[in-house]
Amino acid sequence: QPPRSCEDYWGEWKHCRGLRHAFHHYYAHGELPDCGRWREDYEACRAWERDRAAAAQVPGPLLACPALRRPGLLGHKPRSRGVWKLRKSPPPDWYLPLD
Amino acid sequence: DPYARLLLEALKQSGCTVFNDRHFSCENCDGCVSGGFDAATSQIVLCQNNIRQQSHMNRVVTHELIHAFDHCRAHVDWFKNVKHLACSEIRAANLSGDCTLMNEIARFKFGLKGHHQTCVRDRAIRSILAVRKVSKETAEKAVDDVFDACFNDLEPFGRIPHSKADAKRAYRDFQNRDRYTANL
Repeated sequence: QPPRSCEDYWGEWKHCRGLRHAFHHYYAHGELPDCGRWREDYEACRAWERDRAAAAQVPGPLLACPALRRPGLLGHKPRSRGVWKLRKSPPPDWYLPLD
Repeated sequence: DPYARLLLEALKQSGCTVFNDRHFSCENCDGCVSGGFDAATSQIVLCQNNIRQQSHMNRVVTHELIHAFDHCRAHVDWFKNVKHLACSEIRAANLSGDCTLMNEIARFKFGLKGHHQTCVRDRAIRSILAVRKVSKETAEKAVDDVFDACFNDLEPFGRIPHSKADAKRAYRDFQNRDRYTANL
C-alpha cells in the first residue's frame, strides 16, 4: 500500500501551497516551492485506492519514496556522506563516565 | 520543545541516548559564546552566564544536539578536519532556527531572497573561527567547499524547520517513517 494515507499527501500539498511555507521557501532557497509533486502523489494514491479491488500495484511514483523524498527519511543517504564517513556503530565512549 | 524532542529521539535511535547529568553541563563561559559540543567527552556545554531567555536556550540546545547527532552517526574529525567541522556548523545553523528571519532582523542583518543561506554560511564561518585557530580564508574555503552537500543534508528533520510547527511536522514524519516503510 502507499507509504502514507492519501489525506497526508493532500495535507502536505495544502501546506506547501500556503503563504507561510512559500515565504519560508523563498527566504531559504530564493525561489517559490514546487508543490506539484504532492498533488501528483495524492492523485496516484487515490487511483490506487480506486483500483485496489483489481489488486493494482502501488503506482510507481509512490514507490519512489514520494512523501519520503525528503532527504533523511527512509534511509535516504544524506548528501553529506561525501564529506564524512558514516559510522556503523555509535562512538564507543558515548556512555563512558567522566573523570 | 519539538526541535529537541526530535533530536533526542534521533540520537536514541542511533544508539546515543542522552542523559542530562552525563551529556549536559552548565558552565560560565568567556566572551559571548552560548554553548558548545565537546567531542572528547561527548558532552554539550551550555553557557549559563550568556543565556538569558528560554527561546535562546532552546536554540542553543538544538544547535548543540545537531553536533552531537553528527558525532553519533558519522566519523567527524572535529579537531583536525576543518571541512568536517564546517559541515556540522552549516547543518547546525541551518536546522536549529539560528537563521530565521526574525533572528537575523534582531542582528540588524536584512535580506530576503535566499538570505537564509547567507546567514548559514556566515554563522558557520563565525563558529569555526570561534573554536579553531585557522585563518578566515581557511574557514571560508572549508564552508564553501562543503556547503552544497551539508546545507542539503537535513537529517534528522527531513526539512528546514522554520518554526515549532515545522519541527512538530518533522517529528511526526520521523516517528512515522518506520510505518511508511512497512506500508511499502
